[in-house]
Amino acid sequence: MRSRGFDEVVLPHLDAAYNYARWLSRNDTEAEDVVQDAFVRAMRFLPSLRDADARPWLFAIVRNAWYSRAARRAGSPERLPFDAARYDPIDRAPDPEARLLRQHAVARIREALEQLPPDFREVLVLREFEEMSYKEIASVVGVPIGTVMSRLARARDRLATLLSSSPLPMERRR
Amino acid sequence: MMCDEVTHDLDAYVDRELNADSIVAIRSHVSACTSCRQRVAERETLGRMVRSVPYRVAPDRLRARIVAHVQRRRSVHQMFAWAAAAVLIVSIGAAFMFVRSATIQSDALAEDLVDSHVRSLLAAHLFDVQSTDQHTVKPWFLGKLNFAPPVVDLASVGFPLVGGRLDYVSGQPVAALIYQRQKHLINVFVWPASTEGSGARARTIRGFNVRHWVQNGMSLWAVSDLNDAELNEFVHAQQMSPPAR
Repeated sequence: MRSRGFDEVVLPHLDAAYNYARWLSRNDTEAEDVVQDAFVRAMRFLPSLRDADARPWLFAIVRNAWYSRAARRAGSPERLPFDAARYDPIDRAPDPEARLLRQHAVARIREALEQLPPDFREVLVLREFEEMSYKEIASVVGVPIGTVMSRLARARDRLATLLSSSPLPMERRR
Repeated sequence: MMCDEVTHDLDAYVDRELNADSIVAIRSHVSACTSCRQRVAERETLGRMVRSVPYRVAPDRLRARIVAHVQRRRSVHQMFAWAAAAVLIVSIGAAFMFVRSATIQSDALAEDLVDSHVRSLLAAHLFDVQSTDQHTVKPWFLGKLNFAPPVVDLASVGFPLVGGRLDYVSGQPVAALIYQRQKHLINVFVWPASTEGSGARARTIRGFNVRHWVQNGMSLWAVSDLNDAELNEFVHAQQMSPPAR
């Protein structure tokens, strides 16, 4: 039965789908809504998956759900304000000072990533967090593999520039 | 290999997307070129930095929402499946009952007709109008029935018309036409059909062969002690004859 397939094929990717949606939307509530939309669609379209790999297929659905929500809002998804106070990375480093430093470093990287245009951000997320191949990324994003490669190169160049120029968030807010 | 070639393939290299030959070429260049080695190291550091950002897992409430949706959908599916199965079973049952009741009715009718055939032979009430002339038999029914039965003479193919009779079947007056083949008599009961034309259906009741078919809006039943093959020949001759004027 098809719902059984959903439990085995789609549900295991819930965390990954959420992480991706969270990076796209940069907002907890929005990410939840996107994933919910995507999973409802995935359930409906599961028969079309057949034997193909579920992860790129599901990510493409998440991506579409995000873009159609963004289009419905008729506003640019990039206008969402950055809120550093939301960041609460779980860190179990024993030394409080080392933990603080690492939190600063993580917050800074996260902020830099969120400043990237979504096209650049998503290829980096798919590559670094999901360790997808260029081919998989190409199928999620719907562009040729060459475009994936050039986007990744430009995204990394941009990220490197942001990280080398921006001060630590604590210092900047002071 | 030149530095700008390394630049071109830098990301594919750190992402392990290059083929073996290209990897070997870049490695040998990088081992000799300090600035390229530096750039590869920077890219790898950048990747480690990005990956140091914690992965965000789906909140429990989202998981619960999705699981609830799946279960709701599944129960709706099951409900639909059960409903569909129930509808199917009821339909099959109804269709079966319909066919069965139609068959029973049809069987009862055939029985009646056989009785009528036997009675017509026993009671010496075979004919109301005895004539081998279809132009005599046909007008005789006028004013006695609210329909005009097709009366054809099949003497040319060995089934001469011998007469006609008014009979009652299922409480309604019907035309009975009598044909003969040697010593055998054939009663053809005729009344307006409620269904479209169909091929002849055969059955045997108490040794009598019965054929039923619909032709030109008339339901025709032939009953006789004639053998199967000759009765089929008779039905065929009836069906081939042009509609009566």
